[in-house]
Amino acid sequence: MGRVALRGIRAHLVRFLLSVLAVTLGVAFVAGTFSLRTMLSSTFSGIIDSAMVGDAYVRGSEPASTGGPNGTQVGEVRTTISTDLARAVDAVPGVRMALPDISGPIVLVGADGTAVTSTQAPSFATALYPQDDTIRISAGRAPHGPGEIAIESATLAASGLRVGDRTTVVVGGALRTVTVVGEVAMGAPMAGATITFVDVATATAAYAPDGQVPTITVLGEPGISERTLVDRISPVVGATAEVVTGDTMRAESRASIETMLGFVTTFLMIFAAISLFVGAFIIANTFTMSVRQRMREFALLRAVGASPVQVFASILTQAAVVGLLGSALGIGAGLGLVSMLRVLFERMGMDLSGSIPLDPSTVVISLVVGTVVSIAAAAIPARRAALTPPVEAMRDDVVVHERSLRVRALLGGVLVVGGLASLAVAVTDAAADGSALIGVAAIGLVVGMLLLAPVIARSVLGVLAAVFVAAVKPLGRLARGNVTRNPRRTASTAGALMIGMALVGAASTLAASTQASTRTVVANEMRADFLIQSATGAVPSGAVAAIDGLASVSHADALSYASALVTTGGATPTSADSTTLVGAPAAAFGRSLEVSTVAGSLDSLRSGDVAVQKTAAKDHGWTVGDVLTFTTDTGVTTATVGAVIDSKALGVPVVVPDSLAARLVPTSKQQVDTVFVTPAPGVTAEQLRADLVGAAKPYVVLSVLDQKDFASQLADQVNQVLVILYALLGLSVVIAILGIVNTLALSVIERTREIGLMRAVGLGRLQLAGIITIESVLTALFGTAVGVTIGVVLASALPTVLADTGLTTLVIPWTQLAWMLVLAAAVGVLAALWPASRAARLPVLDAVAYD
Amino acid sequence: MSIRTSDRTPTTPDVGEGRTGPAVATARGLVKTYGAGDTAVHALAGIDVDFTRGELTAIMGPSGSGKSTLMHCMAGLDTPTSGSVVVDGEDVGRMNQRQLTRLRRTRLGFIFQAFNLVPTLTAAENITLPLDIARRPVDRAQFDAVVDAVGLRDRLNHRPSELSGGQQQRVACARALVSQPAVVFADEPTGNLDSRSAREVLGFLRRSVDELGQTVVMVTHDPTAASYAHRVLFLADGRLVGEITDPTPDAVLGALRSLGADDVRGDHHVEVRTAAVTAGTDL
Ligand SMILES: Nc1ncnc2c1ncn2[C@@H]1O[C@H](COP(=O)(O)OP(=O)(O)OP(=O)(O)O)[C@@H](O)[C@H]1O
Ligand SMILES: [Mg+2]
Repeated sequence: MGRVALRGIRAHLVRFLLSVLAVTLGVAFVAGTFSLRTMLSSTFSGIIDSAMVGDAYVRGSEPASTGGPNGTQVGEVRTTISTDLARAVDAVPGVRMALPDISGPIVLVGADGTAVTSTQAPSFATALYPQDDTIRISAGRAPHGPGEIAIESATLAASGLRVGDRTTVVVGGALRTVTVVGEVAMGAPMAGATITFVDVATATAAYAPDGQVPTITVLGEPGISERTLVDRISPVVGATAEVVTGDTMRAESRASIETMLGFVTTFLMIFAAISLFVGAFIIANTFTMSVRQRMREFALLRAVGASPVQVFASILTQAAVVGLLGSALGIGAGLGLVSMLRVLFERMGMDLSGSIPLDPSTVVISLVVGTVVSIAAAAIPARRAALTPPVEAMRDDVVVHERSLRVRALLGGVLVVGGLASLAVAVTDAAADGSALIGVAAIGLVVGMLLLAPVIARSVLGVLAAVFVAAVKPLGRLARGNVTRNPRRTASTAGALMIGMALVGAASTLAASTQASTRTVVANEMRADFLIQSATGAVPSGAVAAIDGLASVSHADALSYASALVTTGGATPTSADSTTLVGAPAAAFGRSLEVSTVAGSLDSLRSGDVAVQKTAAKDHGWTVGDVLTFTTDTGVTTATVGAVIDSKALGVPVVVPDSLAARLVPTSKQQVDTVFVTPAPGVTAEQLRADLVGAAKPYVVLSVLDQKDFASQLADQVNQVLVILYALLGLSVVIAILGIVNTLALSVIERTREIGLMRAVGLGRLQLAGIITIESVLTALFGTAVGVTIGVVLASALPTVLADTGLTTLVIPWTQLAWMLVLAAAVGVLAALWPASRAARLPVLDAVAYD
Repeated sequence: MSIRTSDRTPTTPDVGEGRTGPAVATARGLVKTYGAGDTAVHALAGIDVDFTRGELTAIMGPSGSGKSTLMHCMAGLDTPTSGSVVVDGEDVGRMNQRQLTRLRRTRLGFIFQAFNLVPTLTAAENITLPLDIARRPVDRAQFDAVVDAVGLRDRLNHRPSELSGGQQQRVACARALVSQPAVVFADEPTGNLDSRSAREVLGFLRRSVDELGQTVVMVTHDPTAASYAHRVLFLADGRLVGEITDPTPDAVLGALRSLGADDVRGDHHVEVRTAAVTAGTDL
């Protein structure tokens, strides 16, 4: 029987190739995701291993909120410790040296005059201790004094600078001209981080003026274990600090990176699952087709003594071969994808680990997934073949009993109604957890519609086909007949597109709504004529001062972000209380920003009160007059709630006057996010812009935006996210094409006789190809129409549910959705090419004589 | 009634002798050979035949004698190895695919033994299919005449699966005739029908010739069916071996006997062969 199975594959190579391709695609995604993850985590492990070489670390003992995001830090944020501790630790026997880690953001200007940055990777400067022998200077020497820097090798290459060159940096908010005096080799790819070294005094002045640092790296004498080192140091650091081994520190960092990568992996795995699901359908279809055609062969085998189990096993053997072959190819393709991604990342300045990892578990998982999916998909047709009595199969017409759609209709109906109901609750009931309900609705609608698709296929296709029926007689009618003949099959074929298009429908509606809402918010709340932002997220304080000093500027209001543990009523703060704050001059309200007040008055900010956002007030039960306790590194401060506001522009829970912000966060740690600029009387917009651009230019990373620029910059950010989504949609389109090709090929083979008949009564080849193309287009349109509808319905609920987060306006991007239909039609035409030409080439007589 | 039975040497029977109608389809020196060398099968071994306009001609012969092959070659569905075929004044042998498609669309009608109808179309849509394909307007009068002749007026909106085998064949007849083709080829149109349904179909074919002026060529194994024809041609081993005009069932039976009667049971062989071949067939 094994031989029969293998011969079968060889005889139907083309058809099985489609199945193999389907498995290959799905498995490629699985294998690619795993090896991408392994590559990223080995890159980050490499960074941790080469950048965190301490034998022990001293750090704050309490979780805390420090000012602003700090790019150099991963993991939990803790209270800072004093650099003085280093001296005490240094004195402990067995300690070779104890080095406070002093680092912070820097803007490095490259040889081309622009800032050296790469996507998402941080840019920071760190103190280089002359005695630190863990750092290898591969060229030049260590920096001395504020006028010198050393640069990490990959950063140096990316910057285009050379040792000896002069350039500009922005450190601690000030512009500074420096000389590159050395190159530092880190020994591992740094994933595009921009790393600069300065001497200890410079770093301390810029990043630790108060003598507080997050950690102290401890290097032990040779032969002393990390554990012993920790035990010896612990007694000298006191209650405010704790000591952990280097291994613990590295493990914690690794763990937090793994969590981050976990999200990426999960996201990609969803797409892998979709592609495997559709792949399974293609396989099931292929085997159904092959089994149906070979009913007589199986009957013959049964008649000469083969048992049903043997027939079943022979078909499953074929499925296993398809699965194994597809998986093997898929692993190769997955690795190819990852290498392409790596090249792409490298182009964007992101160095990743040198080797593309292929660990045994990836291979095993991929092989198992691919094979199991194909065997499972082939099981139903195989069972049918095995159980068909020989007599029935010998008969002229093999009757395929279509199972009733009643159960599917019922189940799908319940799910869809349930989904719509939870959507309705999410929209109407303000007290309900809207996001969770929408999640439930999404699952209900998507799964429900997948089940319901065959039931509604006939009527939906009828509507879609109306155009074709009217426009291309009689081809449209014939095509409509063919796609509605087996609604179950048409619906499953359209499944891949349906899922992909649901995603796109939802995403593009959400994106359009976000962009429109942003415009509204900007128009409603922004009063200032210009705002200034930094590509690094922080506007240097020097720049703020320079702008404030311009004659054409009447006011420059700087908004800085910070965070603190916010509590009421004397509760002990935990890391769950960490709250983002915006610090703004009290006078900014009314002249730079127009914020609507729900209760109290924003004037109270002048006297040191704080304002809280409506939503946060509701969540925490804060009202005007409540006293909030703010806990940060610098200590504990209290302030009274003076106003409850409703501001989409300031999308943070608490707004504090900048006098309070200065007390909460050391000035060196304050990060100015935005500067709002109002012109002096009589200054034109062009004049002001020219002045601002002039002041911002030396800082390289600043952009000067008016209201329109700002809105469209926000819109661009949304569009960038969409691009990623569209790339993934591309995958579901490829799979959808494969699925449609497969189904059409199947139905052409099944209809050979009918096709012959129509050719005999005068149907031309082009007409035949036309019918098949229309079928294909109808299938694609069906999937797209249903999918986009699901997506838009889901997304339509979001503005009501997420109104509090600033998503206020619902915009359905009709043009974009129309393009989706055009794309679907194109997909249909593309998918029909091969099956249609195959059908057209069938000799009429063969078709007539086919049986 | 006259019976002429030629011997089995290659001859050119003077087909159509005594009738005045002009030939609507003609074959000269028609040869169709499958395979080559020792295994070559001469499905048609040199046939000269004229089908007269306005007549119902029946073709009979043992299984494998080349009847279907002759029909296919006449209709341009198959290419002869040598010889010429002229239909309605046009040389079928010289036509390319496009011209052949147009010929089938406009000048020819087809009725097969089974699988005549497109399952997704209603009876009415099946009938007008050739006209729709050709994008020609449906001649209402002709449509009504044909539908009434086959007696399917109350079944027009039914799908093939809702029709009996006889009704399906009658729909196929209506379809073959609605475009008023020059000639209708029917390969065992009653092969799958019981005698009553067969009578309906045959009666209709004959009436279409007598009343609507059609030309019909029909292959059959059934002497009764053949007796509906104006003329019966006998084929054996790819050659024309005899002819009867204005036949009766008995006369046909007699003619078959004198040609080697045991072949009348040919049908049985056909079934066996088909099953055996198809058991191993798949694409
Ligand atoms: N495609 C083919 N390849 C090889 N031989 C063929 C092919 N088609 C027909 N033949 C052979 O040609 C001969 C004539 O076949 P044909 O189908 O014309 O017979 P027929 O008279 O219609 O028989 P039946 O009454 O069984 O339908 C047969 O011997 C058959 O085996
Ligand atoms: Mg035949």
